[in-house]
Amino acid sequence: MRTTTITALLVLLGLAAPLARADDSGLDNQVRIGLYYIHYASNADDISGPYTPPGLNLRIDDLETLYLAYVRRLSTHFELELAVGYPPLTKTVGRGPAMLGSVPYNGQVISTARWLAPSLLLNYKFFDDAAKLRPYVGIGVNYTDFYSRQSTSAGDAVTGGPTSISLPSSIGPVGAVGLSYGISDRFRAYASYSVSYVHSRLTADTAGLIHTTNIDFNPRALVVSVGYSF
Amino acid sequence: MLKIGGVLCAALAILLAGCGKSSPTSAVATSTARGTLMFNPPVRLASLDAPTLTEDLGETSSGQQLLELAGTPTCGVDVYYIEYWTVGAKGEAASASGALMVPTGTDAPCTGPRPIVLYAHGTAFEKTYNIADIADSSNSAYSESALIAAIFAAQGYIVVAPNYAGYDISNLPYHPYLIGAQQSKDVSDALTAARTALPNTFTPGTSDNGQLFITGYSEGGYVAMATVKAMTAAGETVTASAPMSGPYATEALVDAVFLGSVNIGSTAFTPLFVTAYQEAYGNIYSEPTDIYEPQYAPNMFELLPSNTPIDTLFANGTLPETALFSNSTPVIPGNAQLTALLAVPANPVFAIGFGTPNLITNDERVSYAIDAVTNPDGAVLAPPSVALAATPQNTLRIALKTNDMRDGSFWAPGGPMLMCGGDQDPTVFFSLDAGTMATYWAALPAGLITVLDLNATPTANDPFAPLQVAFQQDIASILATSGEVGVAESYHDTVAPFCTVAARGFFSKF
Repeated sequence: MRTTTITALLVLLGLAAPLARADDSGLDNQVRIGLYYIHYASNADDISGPYTPPGLNLRIDDLETLYLAYVRRLSTHFELELAVGYPPLTKTVGRGPAMLGSVPYNGQVISTARWLAPSLLLNYKFFDDAAKLRPYVGIGVNYTDFYSRQSTSAGDAVTGGPTSISLPSSIGPVGAVGLSYGISDRFRAYASYSVSYVHSRLTADTAGLIHTTNIDFNPRALVVSVGYSF
Repeated sequence: MLKIGGVLCAALAILLAGCGKSSPTSAVATSTARGTLMFNPPVRLASLDAPTLTEDLGETSSGQQLLELAGTPTCGVDVYYIEYWTVGAKGEAASASGALMVPTGTDAPCTGPRPIVLYAHGTAFEKTYNIADIADSSNSAYSESALIAAIFAAQGYIVVAPNYAGYDISNLPYHPYLIGAQQSKDVSDALTAARTALPNTFTPGTSDNGQLFITGYSEGGYVAMATVKAMTAAGETVTASAPMSGPYATEALVDAVFLGSVNIGSTAFTPLFVTAYQEAYGNIYSEPTDIYEPQYAPNMFELLPSNTPIDTLFANGTLPETALFSNSTPVIPGNAQLTALLAVPANPVFAIGFGTPNLITNDERVSYAIDAVTNPDGAVLAPPSVALAATPQNTLRIALKTNDMRDGSFWAPGGPMLMCGGDQDPTVFFSLDAGTMATYWAALPAGLITVLDLNATPTANDPFAPLQVAFQQDIASILATSGEVGVAESYHDTVAPFCTVAARGFFSKF
């Protein structure tokens, strides 16, 4: 999956290359740095598996993380954005009954994972390069890999012991709308809102007992950033 | 651009290369040696603190009765699901599972070194039986699981309770029912696995204090006694034991059944031990029709334990509910006495075991009965003798003798033993089982063997008198509401909690 995704990203870059045309100013490259504010409009099936009471579900805690992007100007109106957040520690939280026997469940952080979730977007910018304010829209593809997957002590208490977690990587569409403001020739400020489709199947293995659920993470990301062109 | 893009992709590739790590789960054993714990630590299926356990039990009338008998829980109970390796009746490696119940809480009786109760459960007809699944009140093992949790674990005993090979996740395609040599190994292997698991639970400070108590009910009473016998022979210490309502004298019990005293539940018990003995010895029959009536024979070998509820098997005609024998009495030429013995008995409870269609052929019954009177079991036909048949010829009878607790050289438990039951039990005959073993051990020093008949008249200063009074009140209540048939159907199950509380009281003396 990883190789496939990297290849896909490179292919997209390659497909976009013919559109590239140097700007008169020569400032065709840009790096951006900012903050992601991520809200997970998550939706999961009830957890299934042996010895599992009905109604056990999950949600994902919102978070903030560092936003980094490299942007290649393709034309007056098009640019290609490769955005990568600093892999955030996402927390999976129990949703359902308050207690399982005497073990707290609802609201407990039962597992964590770091996300490496690069997105490649093709943005269309309105107005011309000289405009101070430039709204833009973008579509692209998101790849998410979940690593450092940990069951917490609260999670182990819920599942009944040390638990390994499998969460296959996801690939899906991403869409964004944004607005930029020209601060100077080289600096612009950005604000954007993006919606990604991130889906995975969580599998927890506790002493050979397997529990699973399908999760649509549905991250909604608000990004505030500054870009430097060169 | 290409240079920067290349750097980003390289960084991405490095990050991706580090992906995939996860917290570990339990270690998985690669050995299939006896007593090996498959997953260490085992999974905890339920954690109930004392108030929660009290509240859960209080939600049902049976739970409330159990609380009245067992007392308010002092400790919480963590229930672990252990999977372990044991052997089948032929010595083949077999997987099995069970429960490890660990008392929890801060009170002194709930932590630190604690005694272990090794509990063997009663006959289960459903293959999915899992005594560790205490969180699911709809499972067939729930009542027994709650019983031992409330009576033992919630009062500070570590409990080890195997499901037995042939149940739950076991890979053994049959259950070695009433095969003492195998079942004692199964139970001992569960104990070994549980002791391996104990230091790795959520409460590692709770440990084995070295006291070992063995008990069990019905089939489990037999298994408990077989385990005491095997451990005594191996020189292992059993602090005390309490087999309850078990068919210890298998030969005598089944002789009585074939001679007309048909016990309640016999149409389900019989296929269990016939299949087990056929698997173990291979000579019980050549064809199932040697024993079973043709309409039932094709299904019998792999019928029990079943994934289908026993009531469904009765309802759909796979198994007769009560008719073990034909109500058409076989005639044995030249033996009017035996012919009379095989007639439908006058006792209405025993008579329930006769009808049409029936499970066991008259030919098999006659063959067995002739052997039973030719090579008699003393406990059945020549009391007060309790001698086993000297030279039985019927292969089923030979198997029953082999697995009778009197078989082999004389033995006696190394530690005190309480045999509890009720002498009106129409499922496992108390006098023929506990009574026979008590006679077998009659010459032992006083105090080693204690027999508790819940149906006996309570006597002053007898610590078990309150239990006898309460039990007899329960039976009287059932009689008033459901009549004699109701009593017959529920008597065996009604004995269980009273005897189990008696066992705990007995163990508390050591």
